[in-house]
Amino acid sequence: MADLLPEHPDFLWHNPDPQKSYDAVIVGGGGHGLATAYFLAKNHGMTNIAVLEKGWLAGGNMARNTTIIRSNYLWDESAAIYEHALKLWEILPEELEYDFLFSQRGVMNLAHTLGDVRESMRRVGANKLNGVDAEWLDPQQVKELCPILNISDNIRYPVMGATYQPRAGIAKHDHVAWAFARKCDELGVDIIQNCEVTGFLKDGNRVVGVKTNRGTISTEKVGLCAAGHSSVLAEMAGFRLPIQSHPLQALVSELHEPVHPTVVMSNHVHVYVSQAHKGELVMGAGVDSYNGYGQRGSFHVIEHQMAAAVELFPIFARAHVLRTWGGIVDTTLDASPIIGTTPVDNMFVNCGWGTGGFKGTPAAGLTFAHTIATGTPHDLNKPFALERFETGALIDEHGAAAVAH
Amino acid sequence: MADTAALNGINGLRHIRRSPASHLAAALEAGSIEGTVVLREGPFRTMVGLRVDPRSEEGARVVAVAGGLPLRCGDVGGADGVRVLWLGPSEFLVVASEDVHDSLGGTLIDSLTAALGGAPGQVVDLSANRTTFELSGTRARAVLEKGCSLDLHPRSFPPGTALSTEVGNIPVVLEKTGKESFRIFPRASFADFLGRWLLDAMREYASPEVP
Amino acid sequence: MLLISCPNCGSRDETEFHYGGQAHVPYPEDPAALDDRQWAEFLFYRDNTKGAFAERWLHSTGCRQWFNLLRDTVTYEIQAVYPMGAARPDRAAAAPESGTASTAPDSTTTGTAAPDISGTSTAPATSAGTTAPEGASK
Ligand SMILES: Cc1cc2nc3c(=O)[nH]c(=O)nc-3n(C[C@H](O)[C@H](O)[C@H](O)COP(=O)(O)OP(=O)(O)OC[C@H]3O[C@@H](n4cnc5c(N)ncnc54)[C@H](O)[C@@H]3O)c2cc1C
Repeated sequence: MADLLPEHPDFLWHNPDPQKSYDAVIVGGGGHGLATAYFLAKNHGMTNIAVLEKGWLAGGNMARNTTIIRSNYLWDESAAIYEHALKLWEILPEELEYDFLFSQRGVMNLAHTLGDVRESMRRVGANKLNGVDAEWLDPQQVKELCPILNISDNIRYPVMGATYQPRAGIAKHDHVAWAFARKCDELGVDIIQNCEVTGFLKDGNRVVGVKTNRGTISTEKVGLCAAGHSSVLAEMAGFRLPIQSHPLQALVSELHEPVHPTVVMSNHVHVYVSQAHKGELVMGAGVDSYNGYGQRGSFHVIEHQMAAAVELFPIFARAHVLRTWGGIVDTTLDASPIIGTTPVDNMFVNCGWGTGGFKGTPAAGLTFAHTIATGTPHDLNKPFALERFETGALIDEHGAAAVAH
Repeated sequence: MADTAALNGINGLRHIRRSPASHLAAALEAGSIEGTVVLREGPFRTMVGLRVDPRSEEGARVVAVAGGLPLRCGDVGGADGVRVLWLGPSEFLVVASEDVHDSLGGTLIDSLTAALGGAPGQVVDLSANRTTFELSGTRARAVLEKGCSLDLHPRSFPPGTALSTEVGNIPVVLEKTGKESFRIFPRASFADFLGRWLLDAMREYASPEVP
Repeated sequence: MLLISCPNCGSRDETEFHYGGQAHVPYPEDPAALDDRQWAEFLFYRDNTKGAFAERWLHSTGCRQWFNLLRDTVTYEIQAVYPMGAARPDRAAAAPESGTASTAPDSTTTGTAAPDISGTSTAPATSAGTTAPEGASK
């Protein structure tokens, strides 16, 4: 059978009441909020800080994603930050002293049209120039790496090849969150659950505190890590974000013997699949077209995704859908995140990771912590400033991200 | 389709014309179950895309040619073998037999164009845009219901009505022509997929019914 | 699957429609007069309302006409269907809880379905409750 999961310890973090004031407050206790708090404490010595989470720890997108980690993005700016994230993933299990089952089993992005092939080959070239491991595979090589894939031309969109990143893979996302949370707790960070931010206190244009359902907390600095709810928080603070929140759905099957050795994504037919350590097939779909904060999407999206999956992997026809669910993803128009300062002094934002921010978690934390601590962006997140929508210096990653990152 | 002398137009090339589902002809015949559900392609109808405000003066002129424009979703207008399907408040699909096509000596498209004149609107020859599947028999509705979410019960979809919708995920115009007969108009590039989809949906009715 | 009432065709499945995003965003009267900030606002910034949201839809496989919906982005309830060009109907009275950027507690992620993390427990949220997709992790 597949791997046994490590037992997780009973006590990973405390559950403190909010203090009256902190040096910095992070809004949102998902992966990004926790990683940010961790790097604030570890790299910048800021330990009098709190992570405020309205629900339970990492119950948002962090609990709902399909855990794909890769760095084969097209543009230099993206390659730099995602590759930095991947390098951090490679050392984090040791640094956080927590084996969260980071498995570098490789990720394939299938090409089904000539357009796909051209875009993919271009991206492989760009990746190599940026020091990102990337290969172009022909259909036979695809089959060798993933024997259950149907590469015949007897399907609607035959496999014409794939990009392949060997160092890419998956990790157990809830364990990642717990790993960060435990370290944060050790370093003195207050992780406060069931604490919803409902407004901000400002002195002129400077943020000086947050209002919550558990009282008002004064703070020097605020970092927003609210993913799908970023626009709602920005509006409370008095500025706008170029973000639209959409439902994004995924599903799992029952447990199976290991059949799927790698991760396969297909932007063209809208499905991405891996097999988790315990044996479930994990599949993600495209976003639902409409704006939505409901954490659920429409069933036809799941149906579409399953049709594509069964065509690509005929063996899946006998598997069963066990659960489907949805998250709220914060999409931008260039499919790249926003990490930087905001129009409000001492308020910073990390958002817009949309369908693909799990892989970016360590780099988001590292660069956002730097931005909050120093007031200026890290070199890696400088290009991802909010201002790019005014200057026009967009970082269009729709090719690499497409339907879902 | 009869390749008669009357149809020798199109510069004498009529005989090399292939309909979008012609390659499925044998399969459609083999998959049909006489008396239960029968599927065939009815190719090469003359089809004209019409955009005109039906309540305007030019609308009235077009009505004189086409024989009545439907005013509501579902309605079918027309007269004398010309049917006008409602696509939108000012958009219609005129469907007629092949031989009225202007290339074969007919005058339908020319007359419509003349009726519209210089007024705002559009008359476009769309005869090659869609093909027609004809589905009939006691199980015809059951076949469609596998891939169409509209209420196809005669109470809400009676003969003589037509709706733009999806069948088997394919956008089509679905026309109810008789108590147990339908015409399905998919765009040409979807004919192969939809033809095979319908055959698949029909298959179970070839076996004896399990009580 | 949303069931959307097209003003021309009646109730149809969401798959027959295309989403058009926020409604009532006028094209700038004089685009050349806008500065970069204003142009960015027009091009890239749209409301992302949590609650009642006025948005455009196109009945692409039906009558191919655009129309507006007032839809709650949390419950997905459709509150009004109205033609292009018409003003947004005032539904404030009908949907008191769904203003923009609601600061009301969010029913979707928190609440009773969350595992009990109150009190002195410091246990991690091992198995989330019914609405927490435990399987998301697998
Ligand atoms: C189905 C699905 C599949 C995905 N697959 C992948 C994948 O394969 N690879 C990949 O890289 N990415 C993937 N993603 C994207 C990834 O999950 C997100 O980009 C990432 O998790 C976002 O960062 P986060 O973990 O901090 O977000 P979240 O976990 O959503 O954290 C935000 C937190 O903010 C909290 N919050 C919101 N408002 C308030 C408030 N007012 N006060 C206090 N707290 C608040 C929320 O409750 C939430 O816990 C997927 C997403 C989904 C939904």
